This record gives sequence, C-alpha cells and structure tokens, in this order.
Amino acid sequence: MGKLDLCETLSKHVGRVWNVAWHPKGDAFASCGEDKTIRIWAKEGNKWVNKIVLADGHKRTIRSVAWSPCGNYLASASFDATTAIWDKKSGEFECNATLEGHENEVKSVAWSKSGNLLATCSRDKSVWVWEVAEEDEYECAAVLNAHTQDVKKVIWHPNTDILASASYDNTIKLFKEDPSDNDWVSVATLTSHDSTVWSIAFDSSGTRLASCSDDNTVKIWQEYAPNNPEGVPTVDNESTWKCVSTISGYHTRTIYDISWCHLTGLIVTACADDTIRILKEDQESDRNAPNFSCVSSTERSHSQDVNCVAWNPVVSGLLASCSDDGNIKLWSYME
Amino acid sequence: MSRFSGVLQLTDLDDFITPSQECIKPVKIEKTGTSTGAKISIQEDGSYFEIENDGQMQKLQKVEITLSDCLACSGCITSAESVLVTQQSQEELFKVFEENKKLYKEGKDSETKLIIVSVSIQPVLSLAVRYNLSPNEAAARLAGFFRHLGADMVVDMTAAENLALLESQKEFVRRYTSARNDGIKNILPMLASSCPGWVCYAEKTHGNFILPYISTTKSPQQIMGSLIKSWVSEMYGGRPIYHITVMPCYDKKLEAARADFFNETTQSRDVDCVITGIELEQMLQAEGLSLNSMEKAGYSEPWSKANTTSLPVLKRHIGSGSGGYADHILRYTAKELFGIDFEDFHYKNLRNPDFREVILENDGKILLRFAIANGFRNIQNLVQKLKRGKSNYDYVEVMACPSGCLNGGAQIRPQADTTLKELTSKLESLYDSLPIEVPENCKIVQELYKSWLLGHDSDKANAVLHTEYHAVEKMNTALNIKW
Repeated sequence: MGKLDLCETLSKHVGRVWNVAWHPKGDAFASCGEDKTIRIWAKEGNKWVNKIVLADGHKRTIRSVAWSPCGNYLASASFDATTAIWDKKSGEFECNATLEGHENEVKSVAWSKSGNLLATCSRDKSVWVWEVAEEDEYECAAVLNAHTQDVKKVIWHPNTDILASASYDNTIKLFKEDPSDNDWVSVATLTSHDSTVWSIAFDSSGTRLASCSDDNTVKIWQEYAPNNPEGVPTVDNESTWKCVSTISGYHTRTIYDISWCHLTGLIVTACADDTIRILKEDQESDRNAPNFSCVSSTERSHSQDVNCVAWNPVVSGLLASCSDDGNIKLWSYME
Repeated sequence: MSRFSGVLQLTDLDDFITPSQECIKPVKIEKTGTSTGAKISIQEDGSYFEIENDGQMQKLQKVEITLSDCLACSGCITSAESVLVTQQSQEELFKVFEENKKLYKEGKDSETKLIIVSVSIQPVLSLAVRYNLSPNEAAARLAGFFRHLGADMVVDMTAAENLALLESQKEFVRRYTSARNDGIKNILPMLASSCPGWVCYAEKTHGNFILPYISTTKSPQQIMGSLIKSWVSEMYGGRPIYHITVMPCYDKKLEAARADFFNETTQSRDVDCVITGIELEQMLQAEGLSLNSMEKAGYSEPWSKANTTSLPVLKRHIGSGSGGYADHILRYTAKELFGIDFEDFHYKNLRNPDFREVILENDGKILLRFAIANGFRNIQNLVQKLKRGKSNYDYVEVMACPSGCLNGGAQIRPQADTTLKELTSKLESLYDSLPIEVPENCKIVQELYKSWLLGHDSDKANAVLHTEYHAVEKMNTALNIKW
C-alpha cells in the first residue's frame, strides 16, 4: 500500500472550489470556484502562494479552468454561459477573448494538444469546438448536439485531435473532424455506466480512457483499432471502445473526478464520500481485462465533497485536490 | 431524432425540468367565482372541480398552451413538440380531409372548405429520390396523392418564391443605398429572412441587436399564405380555404404559427398546416401506398381567372438550393447600382464548405461582398463577428441547416445504403438539372403585382410582402431562476 501525505492546505477561496488545473510546466496551478474568481498559485520556497487573483471575468460561478499546452493562455468556463480566455501578453493576466454561444452554464473547457482547438460543454446539452483563428479570435468549428442531457466534462486525446465528452445521459462520446467538410462528428458512444458520467481521463497513450460516475464505479475503456489482433469488430473504419474493467466496491458515493497520471500510470479519484482514492493497475494485468486495486484511500481528505483531483504533469506523485469545503490541498503520494 | 434544425434544438433548454413544468406562460382562465377563496376538489381521473358555496361542483378548465404562446415566450419553446404535433400533423390533415368529405356526402357543400396544397421544390426532390422518380413525375404523383386525399387544388410555390426574390432584391438595394449614401447604421449586412429556424433563434437569443439586419421580406411560404388567403380567397368569393404547404423542415411549422401571419379577415392562419417530406412518406405508408402507384395530377393556377391545371414542369432558381437569394440579389445589385453584368462568379469556401463568400470587384475596389452561411456553427461565427464589429459583408444568405434547405431537417432520411452526404449531393445535382426560372420574366408575378398588389412598391405590396420581427424578452421571474 502507498501513502498519501498532505503537504499543504490552501484556504483563500470563499465557498466551494470547483476545479484545479496544473500549468503544463508543473510549477503553478490555477483554481476557480463559487466566488467567481480564478486564483493562480506558484511555489515560493516550500510554500504554495496565491500570486494572482482574477476577478471580474465572470458574472457567476467559475466551474472549470484549463491551461493551453504552451502555458501562455488560461481558459475559464462559467455558469454565466461564457468562456473567457486569459493571457499575459501585456505583462498582467487579462481577459482578451470571450467565447459566447452556449445557452446556459458552461461546465468544462479543454485545450487540444496542439493548442489550436478548444472544447466547451454545457447544461444546454451541446459540446462546442472552437478554433483559434488568429490573435484573440476564436471561431466556432462545431456545435455538437449528440448528448441528450447536460454535458459534464470535455477532454482531448493526449496525442491527436479526438475529443471526448461525458454526460448526465450516462454516456461518453468521442468526436473527430470529418476532413471532407471540416465538420465534427460523433465517432463513438461509450455506454455502460448506469448513471451520470462526471469525469473522464485518458492514459498517456490515449488508447485507454478512465471514467467515473454517479453509479459509484470507475470504468476502464480500451481502444480497439480496425483490424485489431483481438478480433474486436469495428464499424466504418473507426476504433471500437470497449469497457474492459469496472472498478466497484471502493467508492460509496458519486465519483466526481478522475485523473490518470501520465508519469506513473496511477489513477486518482475524487468522491462525494470525502475520500481520495488511488487506483493502481496490477502487475500482470491483461490489457483486455485489466485489474486495478485501490492502493490508497484517504478518508476525510476534505470535510465535504471532493470536486476535483489533478496529478502534477511534471512531478511524480504530486497531487492537487479541491472541495466544497472551500479548501485546496496538495498531497504527495509515495509507493 | 428531432426534425427541427440544429439551431432550434439548441434553444431547447432544460435538462432537469420538463417543458410543462417550466412553462411560465400566465394563462387567463375564465372563472365565474366568488371573491373569497374557493375549494378545489381533485377527482380520481385527475380533473379539477371547484366547489362553490352552495356545494355545487364546477369543472375547472384545463389550461392549454398553443404554439403561438410558445413562440412569444422565452421559456422552454420548441421542446414542446407535442404542441406542434396536435396542431400541424398528418393526423390533423387527415381529419380536415375527412370532415370535408363528410360534408360533401351529406350535401352540405356550402359548409365545405376549399383545400389548397402549395408545394415547394425541396420536398418534391426528396420524394423523387426516395421513390426513384423524375422530379416532374414525383410532383405529378404527389399532386395525385393530395387529390386522392381530397385536396381541391395543388399549386406550385414558384410564384411566391419569385415574389420573395424580387422583393429581397429591391430591399437590398434600398438598404445599400441608404447605408452608403445616407450613412444609416445597422442595416447592412442584410441577412436572409426565409429560414424560420434562424429567425426564431435570432429573436430568442440575440433580439434587438440582430433583428434590424434581417430582411423584412416574407418567406415564400408566407407570401404564398397571403396569396392564397387573401387574393385567391377573394377570387373564390370569400369561400373558406384550408391552406397546406409542403416544406423541407419542421421549423416552417413554427413560422406558420406566428401571430404575424394570422389573417384577421378570414380568422385563420395564412398557412393552416405545414407538412414535410418525412411526414408524407409516413402518410403514404399509413395509407399503404407508394408514390409510384399514385395517379398523376396537375398543378393548378387559382390566381389566374382561367385556372388551368397542367402537369407540373418544375424549375429551379439560380444559386443555392435554399432559394438562391445571394445569387439573385448579387446579380440584380451589380446591374442596378454598378451597371455590371455579373453572371459568371464562383464562391470561395472559407473555414468550411458551408461558409462561402463571393466578392464583386471593380478596378481593385470591392463593391459588394456576399456570403452564404449554412448551419449553426456558421451562424454563430457570423453573429459573433457582427457583435464585435468585424463583419464586412453586405449580404448573407443564412440558413439553419448545414447545406441549406435541400438538406432540411424534415427531408426524407437517407435509405440504408446511402449516407446523408451522398443524399444531399444527389439532391443538389437533381436541383441543378432543372431548367432555370427567372423571377423577372414570370408573367404570373407581373400580373399579381398589377391586379393584387396594385403595383410595385405600392403600400399594399409593402404591407403584404413584408413582415416584422420581435425580440423575445428574457424572463426574469423568480420561477425562472436557474441554479
């Protein structure tokens, strides 16, 4: 069993903290919450210090923040139906573009690997793809009405322009661009969860996806490309994504977030039972039927729902979490 | 799958509350009552009775929400498909036909309605592909099907399309000259008005900001409505008319239900019922018929005294399969304002094939910049550009469906062996194969301007052929707060 040690508790936000996002360099992170502020944190000596507070960008709760892969832009998604793009070209962080179009609450925002595309999703059931057109100009490349309910989360594939979304309709959908008319189409619908899929995360190869749900389970999905040696059938020359593992029995309530570490392969979950759990794949695990065990379970990690967990992209074992209790916590995991 | 355009699917709001629960439309209930509080008893079947002071029970009326109520509201709107279905469905159509037949049978001819069906080109092509018929044959057999059901006349909508194009051309030149010569703001770009999905979205989402740009020219469907319900009705001595249109999308049902298109004189809507390709396919199936086996029938011309009926000879308009607005307005304006015969031009695809632009240049100077924007993503980009003052277009043909009206939301779905894209390109090439209709050369239209509209640009022409739009105010009642 491993050990998750609390390094630091940061209590600057007022009200619940919804999301934390590591800067790609790993030396800073952004957080956002009910207080309509974005806070940017960096390490000074041994302490994480709140360097910047971005207020006035949104009129309602900020639900999600995401750094561009180059680290120069920060996107924030808000319940005020807009997504703001911040940069510090002028020296200070400023909002230089606002993406409007969603009918109501924007729930999640994510940058593609290339940094040329941005995805947002909303309670209006739609997923939007935005293209970075030119300086501070973002054009809508697609409006995807594939989900039948609130869309909770969007993430991009780690290597190619494939978009994944998770919804209140219990499904995960994958989208990619159809080069013939530059429109985006749904290429896969992943069904197996019995309730809302709250969050999803790709592994470092992008051939596996982990999802967490209101049905108290984590599921692992494996990509089977056309003509795969396992003989899994594919349709229209598109990969099939199959649920190869359902991890149940550990979580006692809704699992709100999941992060798959691209350095260590460890999965961490944020749960409404106030516990942070770390899942590790067994050593002789079969890719087609993998086995994951819970190697660490930190009860009362926060005093209320844990909303978000995020592995640091550079420092192995460094974890950030945030909660309805208003706190952000930094943790260190040791095998 | 919804048959509305994607634009309207998006404005369909809520995920947690069903439309009926969220409906906040205040309804006036006719109540004979006391000034004091009343007792209400709920029966086992769910009906409500008011118990009056003397112990008598009175059944309380159920509140009914009509489609027009929905259109005027910023609440749940188009998800109330059920509201639509009851007022504008094939069931309603069958009912009307049956009632009429019954009246004839009982010898009550004077109580019957004159049933007229106006057919647009896109659903005919959709049927032609579905039943593997030539366009003209599909039109003739469709006319035969409606006659079989009990329609008195089946008519071609081309005359109304011509009127819409001619009025749009003149409107654009008016706007362009006032913008350029008198510096009038917020009138360019002129945005097309024939797509009700786009108009409904604009009214509900962007309201007063965007509405001044939208052409006031009525859509062909509604011009046809006026033509049938006022002019033809007059020619038939005011006999009640039931007017059906055959259209490529469900959004047209919303348009027909707009309060603006209610005819006070006849106390009916200009278009009583909109029926689409996909519903026609279902109607044929319900009757156990194939279009191929229907007798051919002709198109009538009730607006002319002779009212000849002849087998359809379908034509198309130059330009897009959505009516060709951009092409017609561009050609007309180039000639009218700059004396240029701008005939042979090509659109340049921008970010995607559904956003295309064409520029008229002279001596290196850009005179006119036109675009066609189809589908919701392009509508978004257009609106955002306008909002940021970065649009330099003079005219944009805006349609809510990707690829425009030939791919309308209620066109018949592709059969098992084809993709939607293949079907759309098939419809496009079928459309392009038709002979060309030139609105200016249309005798019927010239005659209608003279006899019905009392001249070009007359007050009557402006009143009959143009309409207005209404921003839908966002409701801010406590009931409507979203957490």
